Amino acid sequence: MRRNQGCHPHEHLLARRRLLASTAAGAVGLGVLGTQAQAKQLQRQEKRILQVFLQGGVSQLESWDPKPGTLHGGPFQAIPTSVPGIHISELLPNIAQRMHLLSIVRSINIKINDHEQGRQFMEKGRRVGQYPYVGAVASKYLTPADSELPGYVHVSSRGLRDTAGGAAFLGARHGQLKLEGIQPPGNLAVPEGLDPVADSNRDQLRLQFNQRFVERRSKALTEAYDASFHQATKLMGRKAMFEGEAAERDLDRYGRHDFGRYCLLARTLLENGAACVKVTHHGYDSHAENFNFHLEQLGEFDKPFCMLLDDLKARGMLESTLVVIYSEFGRTPKVNVRYGRDHWGSAWSIALGGCGIQPGAVIGKTNDTGTAVADREVDAGHLFHTYLQAVGVDSTADHDIPGRSIPIGDPSTEAIGELLA
Amino acid sequence: MKSEQNAEPAVAAGLDAKQTHQVAAFKYELPLTTLRVDPTARFAAAGAEDLDVQLWDLDSGTRRTLKGHPSWVRSIDFSPDGNRLYTACWGGVINVWDTSSDQTTPVSSIHAHQGAARCVRVSPDGKRLATCGNDLLVKVWNLDDGELLHTFSGHPRHVYGVDFHPANNHLVSQDLMGGVNVWDLGTGKHKQSVDASVMTGYDNKFAADMGGARDLTFRADGTQWASAGITNVTNSFAGIQVPIIVLFDWETGKEIKQLKSADDNLKGIAWGVRYHPAGFVIGAIADRTGKGELWFYRPDEEKAFHTLKLKSAARGLDLLSDNQRLAVAHADGHLRLYRMTADSAAADEPDATG
Amino acid sequence: MYSSPLNSSALGKTCWFAVALVLIAVQSAEATRPLHERVDAAIGCGDPEFERLAAADAGDAAFIRRVYLDLAGTIPSSDQVRRFLAESAADKRAQLVDQLLESPRYARHMQYVFDTMLMERRPAKYVKADQWQAYLRQSFAENKPWDQFVTEMLTADGADETNRAAARFLLDRELKPDPVTRDLGRIFLGRDLQCAQCHDHPNVDDYLQRHYHGLAAFLNRSYLFTDPKTKQASIGEKAEGVVKFTSVFTSEAAETAPRMLDLPPVEDPPMADEPYKVKPEKKKVRSVPVYSRRLQLASAMTDPSNAAFRRNIVNRLWAMMMGRGIVEPVDMWHAGNPPSHPELLEMLADDFAAHHYDVKYLLRELARTKTYQRSSQYPPGAEIAPDDRFAVALQKPLSPEQLAWSMMQATSLTEATLQDLQAKHRKAHPDDDPQTVEDPVWQEAALHDALKGHVASFVDLFGVTGIQTSQFDASANQALFLRNGKVLQSWLTPQGARLTAKLKALDAPQLVDEFYMAVFSRPPGADEQQQISEFLARAPEGRDAALGQLVWAALSSAEFRFNH
Repeated sequence: MRRNQGCHPHEHLLARRRLLASTAAGAVGLGVLGTQAQAKQLQRQEKRILQVFLQGGVSQLESWDPKPGTLHGGPFQAIPTSVPGIHISELLPNIAQRMHLLSIVRSINIKINDHEQGRQFMEKGRRVGQYPYVGAVASKYLTPADSELPGYVHVSSRGLRDTAGGAAFLGARHGQLKLEGIQPPGNLAVPEGLDPVADSNRDQLRLQFNQRFVERRSKALTEAYDASFHQATKLMGRKAMFEGEAAERDLDRYGRHDFGRYCLLARTLLENGAACVKVTHHGYDSHAENFNFHLEQLGEFDKPFCMLLDDLKARGMLESTLVVIYSEFGRTPKVNVRYGRDHWGSAWSIALGGCGIQPGAVIGKTNDTGTAVADREVDAGHLFHTYLQAVGVDSTADHDIPGRSIPIGDPSTEAIGELLA
Repeated sequence: MKSEQNAEPAVAAGLDAKQTHQVAAFKYELPLTTLRVDPTARFAAAGAEDLDVQLWDLDSGTRRTLKGHPSWVRSIDFSPDGNRLYTACWGGVINVWDTSSDQTTPVSSIHAHQGAARCVRVSPDGKRLATCGNDLLVKVWNLDDGELLHTFSGHPRHVYGVDFHPANNHLVSQDLMGGVNVWDLGTGKHKQSVDASVMTGYDNKFAADMGGARDLTFRADGTQWASAGITNVTNSFAGIQVPIIVLFDWETGKEIKQLKSADDNLKGIAWGVRYHPAGFVIGAIADRTGKGELWFYRPDEEKAFHTLKLKSAARGLDLLSDNQRLAVAHADGHLRLYRMTADSAAADEPDATG
Repeated sequence: MYSSPLNSSALGKTCWFAVALVLIAVQSAEATRPLHERVDAAIGCGDPEFERLAAADAGDAAFIRRVYLDLAGTIPSSDQVRRFLAESAADKRAQLVDQLLESPRYARHMQYVFDTMLMERRPAKYVKADQWQAYLRQSFAENKPWDQFVTEMLTADGADETNRAAARFLLDRELKPDPVTRDLGRIFLGRDLQCAQCHDHPNVDDYLQRHYHGLAAFLNRSYLFTDPKTKQASIGEKAEGVVKFTSVFTSEAAETAPRMLDLPPVEDPPMADEPYKVKPEKKKVRSVPVYSRRLQLASAMTDPSNAAFRRNIVNRLWAMMMGRGIVEPVDMWHAGNPPSHPELLEMLADDFAAHHYDVKYLLRELARTKTYQRSSQYPPGAEIAPDDRFAVALQKPLSPEQLAWSMMQATSLTEATLQDLQAKHRKAHPDDDPQTVEDPVWQEAALHDALKGHVASFVDLFGVTGIQTSQFDASANQALFLRNGKVLQSWLTPQGARLTAKLKALDAPQLVDEFYMAVFSRPPGADEQQQISEFLARAPEGRDAALGQLVWAALSSAEFRFNH
């Protein structure tokens, strides 16, 4: 017996068509605008994702789902936010003022307490199997044809040895371009001693070789290969962007520490057409001294993140940028003997906002002591669908891969409909 | 619990730290965070992983719950007569309580710091209160009218501990990074910086600093102070660092000695330190496994002359005014009293070890 | 469903009728024809357009490059190309194939290919990579029959050193039911049953949940055992445990005994009074049951009734040689994605089984086919034939290992390194037989040891962890590495026996000739002679400085990047 819920080939076709139709409608609407305005407008039509990954598992009780004064509440207090009725931890005072731009999902149960498995599930929306990460999917379906940057860029100073860059069967070009902090990508400079004319000559010669090779041959592979050189050349042209010192006034706002600089780089990458930028902020795996470490880490996270959020908003990009703050899991309600909290995948939270997301909402809740989801349980499969649908990718369709029919999102789950704008 | 009425000798007869043993245990349902015994040894007050203060009458064993903090209590001190109790919490509030009445709400309350107030200390004359916290400030308050007398700024990171010099009107404070400042309360100025950076560490894997004075106390004669905390950070996110107590010389501001566990493999945090009038130092340690240790150290000796293993991690230490008993706040929710004499069952036996 | 060689999926496009005739009427005569001839006959069979679309013979130069890459994992040296072109024997291609199959480079190349296929570049966990690779290399060197090879891998428990390497397939998947079941299906049966884990496959009619769980049931009692003393991991097994599954869509529940797809289940015998040879004792002892479900796996897998097993491997070896599976992707075999040439696949599978799963035999026969030896250029005036017609040789992206060894070969790093190694050996062992350093086995091992670091760095950058596909893909990072990276740049420095140094000593026509032979494994055309001469003459910094740029452009070209 077959079950085709959410996954019927006919529906896929329709969904694809809808996707195309909405793009077309956008284009028609532009007809009345002048060319320059049109370009700007087009740029705004492009959608993108900013992921801020709080590595190690941020504590939901010290962030999005505080329960002060309860059995496992910990020492921190909850503070009111710009959305009446929503309280978050006092450790996020800047975000509290911008809560109307974000929403919270408080009812995540992924049933996983392992870093690697939790991260994989959160990235792939599937518990097992080799599927592309959200960022790789965004790269494939959201990257503009003339993009100057690879679609999926990950800024981090640690944990970059992520297997295969998350592209799976979507291919290396949709895998993470891994940036070691604000270090430019490797091999960006022309080899020492090679002058620009000679460099250009040798590249011309390479193209001549290729031209001859494709005579009476299929061009597809050569074109894909050549595209990677083209992309490399574009990146080399952006060397200054990667190497550029951040402006003093930006550093004043974002902070001079690593994470502040990463957020500034993320802003630049998003402005330059990256479809998904992931910024990792490290150090939430607080099996000991959970409270002091959350104080320190969230203290470092809150302000620069908010500066980035403000800048995206000020530049008119927030409505086309999905912003997600997530981890691989949350932390145990029970405080251990080291003042630590341990791994906890069964009742925790993320926050998200921007493109396609209903702002100022709280989805689901946990029970009074935070030990279990009390309402609207979701897992990473639901979140995966939600992210992609928020940026206009039909996650119930199949991937555009020859010879395989692979549903983009897990067909056994669906988006959190009430969260979508 | 029977009261001990031998307050006059500075060094109690029969004192033998090597025979330290538990003499009483008071249970609370949540892990304790800190404690203090009042100078007359009537009361022991403790914070726990909730919003309340637990006040035990050590004679009767009865417990009162004091309510009025918005957050966990981190630090406690008493007035010299024991009638006033001062408590500091993660919410930055200092509450003042009257222990002589049955009142369970604060007499007064000061929002002393933005963010956590990590330490509170009463001056030797009982007239002033020193507090410090996450707003990077050290503050001194007049206890008569609650007036803010001094605000000392200069610590670049959270200030963990503070204490008054017993005699000469100075204050010492230590921050997360092991920066120690000496403040002159006469001039209201910074007097000296002391390096305690051994008591901090950067966790490379998790990109965060760990450190701070978890307890800070002067020797009664004012010639030294001791600070309890950690050193040698390997993986603080799993609690893997070495507990340490460092003794500093008041005159020179130099480190005199580092005290560590006799067990080289022990990892954890030193949460309490006291000078005993007999000349040794007592440390209280939380082992990362959840057990604990009490160290007994003579400052001029390489190793602790005695270590008492504790079944539950220690999170606070005080010495009772009889100089025989120690009070320890434990992670298992118990406040335990230990006596540094031969076991009472063998109390009639002559003291063999001296 | 694969019980009959003439299954219904074959009906769609081709000539089952003709094959049926062949099978029935001239079966005996047919069987005496060499396999490579029968392959060529089957490829164009019933396709009236085939001759018009089919490419001509590739020519000796294209052949030697292709077959070196496919069987030895590297391009040939310019000398090897010259010698082969000059050779006049009519069967020189067949001789070359035989010679490559017997060379130590073949075993090394197959080690790379099967390591990638079986372990998909996952990091070594419980079995050391060296040990595993040596096992693979040895197996191919001795041409171990595939059924025996798989039996070893699926029965080894890793408890002693002699079978430790063979146990890596299971051990390094930690005996975890999901990856093991999925990979058994994909890698040995050509079926990716993953989506059938939680429900019958939503898009593939014939991948059923019971297939997945039937496979899982062979291993559901096995577990990863860690010896408390040695900390060494091996495979333990319990005497009981059943596999139950529930569809997440329908909540239907079922239970299954071990079973190979739709073949009859392998029922457990009645439980013995004492079900254990070695009883489980908490975590201290590796338990061994009297009746092992796991040991049934290899026999059920390799049993002749399980046609999927032999079809899968011939399809994969075909894809390795021809650039595309007869079923493509090679792990998506189902009614909705039928083989392009079902009768051919059937013939290959049966012939392979009849030849005792002889891998060298099959590769030799494939390399001898006209199909393999066609040009990758389609005939003038014709359009490009679809890939699944096999009318034109397909371009195959070089694996990271092939790319590394070929670049080192082209730049003469290999040759220069070998000379150094030989000199060093002679110096260190003056009494040793001078022939030692001429032994291909010694040379291969020495070169591999000296240059494996470079290979590893290519694998890091160009390799894919996880499911391998035949899809070509290239990232900007890879192009930046080739364009500006120090490694390749250093190989272009004109020193010692390096190619650029050799070219420096030559004049125009010989220079261009040597350059083409070394990098492209073919002589240049007249237009190319001229083009290169002009490039060198035009170079702003003079001819010698431009040699590095010349070689770089060739190494970075599509002609070099693909096997064609």
